[in-house]
Amino acid sequence: MLDSLLQATIIVNILASTVRIATPLLLGAMGELVTERSGVMNLGIEGTMLMSSFIAFLVAFETNSIILAVGAGMLTGALMSLIMAFMASTMKVDQTVTGLSLNLLASGISLFWYRVAFKGTSTESIPTIQTMGSVKIPILGDIPYLGEIFFNQGLLTYLAFIMVPVIAFFLYRTYTGLAIRSLGENPRAVDMKGINVTRLQYLSVIFGGVMSGLAGAFITIGTTVRFLPEISAGRGWLALVIVIAGNWRAGRILLAALLFAFMDAFQLQLQGIGIQIPFQILLAAPYVLAIVVLMGSRARSLAPRNLGIPYIREEG
Amino acid sequence: MSPVDKLKFEKRDDISPLGRTAAIVVALIAAMLVSAILIKLANASPLEAFINLFKGAFGNKRAILETLTKSTPLILTGLATVIAFRGKIWSIGQEGQFFLGAIGGYWAYRIFEGLPAAALVPIVILGAFLVGAFGGMLAGLLKAYFNVDVIISTVMGNYIIDYFLSFMLSGSGPWREPGSYYQQTAEITENAYYPLLFANARIHMGFLIAIACSMIVYLILNHTPFGYQLRAFGSNPRAAKFKGINTNKIIILTMFISGGLAGLAGTGELFGVQYRLRPDLSPGYGYTGIIVAMLAGLNPIGVIPAAILFGALINGSAQMRIATGVPTALTFAIQAIVLLSLLSAQVLTRFRVRRVDHA
Repeated sequence: MLDSLLQATIIVNILASTVRIATPLLLGAMGELVTERSGVMNLGIEGTMLMSSFIAFLVAFETNSIILAVGAGMLTGALMSLIMAFMASTMKVDQTVTGLSLNLLASGISLFWYRVAFKGTSTESIPTIQTMGSVKIPILGDIPYLGEIFFNQGLLTYLAFIMVPVIAFFLYRTYTGLAIRSLGENPRAVDMKGINVTRLQYLSVIFGGVMSGLAGAFITIGTTVRFLPEISAGRGWLALVIVIAGNWRAGRILLAALLFAFMDAFQLQLQGIGIQIPFQILLAAPYVLAIVVLMGSRARSLAPRNLGIPYIREEG
Repeated sequence: MSPVDKLKFEKRDDISPLGRTAAIVVALIAAMLVSAILIKLANASPLEAFINLFKGAFGNKRAILETLTKSTPLILTGLATVIAFRGKIWSIGQEGQFFLGAIGGYWAYRIFEGLPAAALVPIVILGAFLVGAFGGMLAGLLKAYFNVDVIISTVMGNYIIDYFLSFMLSGSGPWREPGSYYQQTAEITENAYYPLLFANARIHMGFLIAIACSMIVYLILNHTPFGYQLRAFGSNPRAAKFKGINTNKIIILTMFISGGLAGLAGTGELFGVQYRLRPDLSPGYGYTGIIVAMLAGLNPIGVIPAAILFGALINGSAQMRIATGVPTALTFAIQAIVLLSLLSAQVLTRFRVRRVDHA
């Protein structure tokens, strides 16, 4: 009796963690989906998340306001991706190298700024902030098991899951969504329709950046009281993997994000019960899974055909 | 119609050496300006910081030799990047392969520990090259046979290698120095040291190896059929395939060499400078190598001065921090800003801006 109860608690615990851990992956991947659909490959989302997580932490530390911190994270995401949009859409620079340089920029600036802002802090006085905490949804939150798993989470988690159908609807059922998807396939056709290609690409890239910014904000103020250098720890890269594994479809991206999150939640639980596997091996598991998943998703049937290729208008 | 519409960007196939130099100068000036702002934010005087940075890097013979020591791994990770990027194979696994090289070298050292230096050092170097190359080759195989993007497999590889090393050096890991509080191996014995080039300076044989490697990469790229095929693949993968070039072989071999070069960087730091394997053996030498390669215009000989520039930045930043309190993390920010400004400045050389009169 007690044994099975314990089992159930552990399972609920793992699943609730899965939903929580999926949050930044889902936000990042759904944002990147829109960006890539517009033909721009933003490899800088790891850096965007890192920078946003730092700025959100900094603002939360200075103002004690969660709302301002989330806003600052979104704004940071927008600014980081504005660089990407400018380089990709206006300057037509190679998008791979631009994305990489955004990641390096975020690593450098966040570390430098952290050292400057919290000069002379020792290990005992690491600066900490209040985290967001969870919001239990009335009635639904009281359903046994399911309530604990799905309806007792942070606000950003709810937002991440709501954005999946919202973005799917936007991309497939609205005129602007159609235009964005066409941009990734055939930008010349969109241009000939009289739609401003550059403007639409900017908006798509910046939207992706704001989503990564939310993901970054969640990484600090949603989950932990302190900031650590490189705190994004590859979640931005995993979001890119999830988009590929999800074959650029919203529903499959949701599944892929949950798979990665489950993997992570599972290894956390294993660590918790002190299993005889070195925890470093467990921590490496999501990255190994990423490679295995990509090996299995060779068919990229729905990849935007013009992904990563700058559109240069031909003139007479 | 706005004035912008009357300007036309024309793509140029050739980049003039003058244009490339101009782009580098513009990028470095832009990076200095942004750095000055960052130093100001850290409540220090930019001029004083720059002077100390320069003094720390080139102030005397000792400083110069230390700058060359710091540039040694950067030449090698830069070359690892050059050879991959020439084929438009976007590997960013240099950081992980750096550590694979250190792991491979240390592994070989543990097996052949008792041998005299003349035999042990070459074995260590070979071990480092092969293990680093193996890591690169895995990414190449994944691309060739499973269509896994090199950029993603190498990033994932960096994380996996990081955790692997952390395990090997952990309390329960096999390589941890017995009784040590730190994550590190025991110090290696003197018969495995890279020979030093000067008394009273840390610069070691690895510098000469790095210089030799840049010559070799130059020869491979410009004077071998493989180099020709790699460049053809880089400029147009589809056309290369139609010409009958075995593109899978190109990808795998390129990644093999690239990983091996990065591996040499790691083992040089271990057996030439630090004498123990620690997780902080590299302050991001792999990533800096990417910027070195871009600044060098993917030219293997140009990698040498570019690496010395960034070696100077890393070396000089220590004195800058002591004199002005500006955190050494500034160097990472500067590196990224150099790369971003370089990318923008190169546009001006890649395109010829022309007024269009008949629009």
